[in-house]
Amino acid sequence: MYTDAVSDPNDPLGPFEAVHYGSAYAMTDYETKSQNLYLTTSYIYSPKLKFHGMVGYNKSTAAMDQVVFPDLTARLYDEINDVTDLDHQDFTFLHMHDYSNLDYQLLNFSLGLEYMLSKDVVWTADGEYADLKDNEGYVYGIESGSMFMIRSGIRFVF
Amino acid sequence: MNRFYTITLQCLLLVALTFMVAAGQEDAIEEKYSVWIGSSYTDFTDYTKKIGEYRNGDDEFLPEFSIDYLSRGINHIFSLNGNYRDENNIMADMASKIGDGFSAGFKYRSLYKLAGQDLLTNLETREASGGKILTHEILDPGADYYVHRKEVESNFNLRISKKNNVRLTAAHRTTLQSGNEQHLANSHCFSCHITSNTATIDKITHQIMAGLQADIGKSKVGYQFAYRIFESEAPLTYANYDEAKHPVNGGSAAEFSSRLLFDGVAMAAGEYANTEKLSHKVTFKGNAGNSSYGSSIGYSKATNKNNDLSSSAISGSAFYATSLAKLTRLIAKFSVAKLEVDDFNVDLPLFRDGRPGIPMDFDFTRYSSLNRVDLRGSVELISRLNKKMTASISAGLRSIDREYYPAENSDATTTLFGQAKLRYRKGMEYSASFKYRFESTSNPFTSARGLFEARGRSVLNPVDGTSFVYYWQREALRYQDITTAPTQAHILDLTSTWRPNNKVNLNFGFKAKYDKNGDLDSLDVSHFSMQPSLAVNVNLDQKWAVSLGGSYGYNKSRGPVAIALFDG
Repeated sequence: MYTDAVSDPNDPLGPFEAVHYGSAYAMTDYETKSQNLYLTTSYIYSPKLKFHGMVGYNKSTAAMDQVVFPDLTARLYDEINDVTDLDHQDFTFLHMHDYSNLDYQLLNFSLGLEYMLSKDVVWTADGEYADLKDNEGYVYGIESGSMFMIRSGIRFVF
Repeated sequence: MNRFYTITLQCLLLVALTFMVAAGQEDAIEEKYSVWIGSSYTDFTDYTKKIGEYRNGDDEFLPEFSIDYLSRGINHIFSLNGNYRDENNIMADMASKIGDGFSAGFKYRSLYKLAGQDLLTNLETREASGGKILTHEILDPGADYYVHRKEVESNFNLRISKKNNVRLTAAHRTTLQSGNEQHLANSHCFSCHITSNTATIDKITHQIMAGLQADIGKSKVGYQFAYRIFESEAPLTYANYDEAKHPVNGGSAAEFSSRLLFDGVAMAAGEYANTEKLSHKVTFKGNAGNSSYGSSIGYSKATNKNNDLSSSAISGSAFYATSLAKLTRLIAKFSVAKLEVDDFNVDLPLFRDGRPGIPMDFDFTRYSSLNRVDLRGSVELISRLNKKMTASISAGLRSIDREYYPAENSDATTTLFGQAKLRYRKGMEYSASFKYRFESTSNPFTSARGLFEARGRSVLNPVDGTSFVYYWQREALRYQDITTAPTQAHILDLTSTWRPNNKVNLNFGFKAKYDKNGDLDSLDVSHFSMQPSLAVNVNLDQKWAVSLGGSYGYNKSRGPVAIALFDG
């Protein structure tokens, strides 16, 4: 029996007998974990000077258990020719479960101040640093990167 | 684009005008505003698009600006908040209220989001002996994908008659999305060749709503009309589909081509459906003694303007709430909706037309499983047990009866639920709530096609006139219902707040859910999730405040992974 193969006498691979033994399955677990920690603080040093800050940490992972299929030898037995078919196929899928692994770590840190220059004028200054570490790299490749930002300005209060 | 800015300007002027009229009629008793002018500098290292997903600018200074304004009088309140972060990240929010007779609001949001490129690296494999193959090709390496989303929203509420409190309401929202996105095209399985290209994003959505409501005695009646239209004005994206031929030796082109709708051609792909939706809704609410009741009837119709296919829904709902005793209340709710989706015939060329054997006609009519009657009902009993504790129990059902459901067991999907909730409060010092919910579902929606295939060898026969068994014949071998929907679910929600003194506040929360499906033979499909959280707020003194906390999220799913055991 040929299964949907194009039989071409000149085909270097054939004509070959294509066989069909149905399907096999295995039950598998998929886990995601996410941990978040944060600390924010504000401090009034004086009526003119205030500070604020934040530290945040996140770690997120996702992983599938290795997919272990049952022994397929009996399923693939060709009783007509007394051989085990599809011996050129590898049904172990040793690394398939790793394809969708995720492992991110994100660290945020920010610090800012407000200084009252006069009754109606306040100087503000903020800094922020964020660092992302991608230990797996799935769809988009390794996404590790960091960002540094500073912001400053004057607020007029009327 | 010009239409978008015209709408934005008109909404802005209208809300501002109402404020100026109101403010001109009285002196403000409170008026304050502040303006912030500054600049920011951002620098990125390594991969930018994840850490800087919502940020503009790299290694450059950008000007920033923000404004806050509040005017409040005896008969009016007006507020304006705006923030300009860069040319793509802007926010403005304006609200005006004049007495009890008029209120208006306006919002503008502009947001810029970067997106990475799917490198398709896992989509690359080749069978050991050289047969089956899967390849990918990035035709736009290093493409810059992003979406710039702009949204303008306005709403008005005007009392047009004090008698019967007749009110006119109107709201509007326009959303504009522009940018570039990744477009994937997949040639047919003879080559399994997946290509990546850049597609332009140019989408616009308009939504308008108008309504009228009035008080008639102790009852309130209302009517609401809504219209939504979505259009993509982006140029069509074309994908090159490979010429059908043997993936290894390049032969048998006529045979492969006879099995496909098209090959060796550039075709428009990934076209968005231009849609419109209109809806009407009539509502009624009333009171009688210790009871209140209400109902609504609605009709909506959505149309895909590309092919003139429509779906419609007729819905109705009702509620009744009454006091059974001094501290005990009963709430009953019921709703029903009937959804209908147009059928359509898919007319396909003959399969293997002109080749040896009898060609197959695979024309079919698509019936939607969305055609259904959706019934919901619930009863809740709430009782205050004492000054500190309130308890509630509720029970209900949901039934979905699908008109077209080709699964073997085609009875309605019915979910019964029961819920118990207990709330405890000890003054301002301590409060806690506990909720448990159980759901039992019979006949959850399953795939009618089956996940597994039975052994085909010695079962399937070659098609007349050929010596081959074809892939399409394997459909007859498929079995095993499969779904991710559960037959049983347990849901737990616990929250607690403790304030030992004025300086310390401690919050604890725990959520968990476990569900499983016991109707799938030996397939033990299940899901478990939990999320504990803890937060502490401490005012160390009048100058120093600290907040710290954390949360842990855990999700586990168990399901089958299936592979086909065949060659060819």
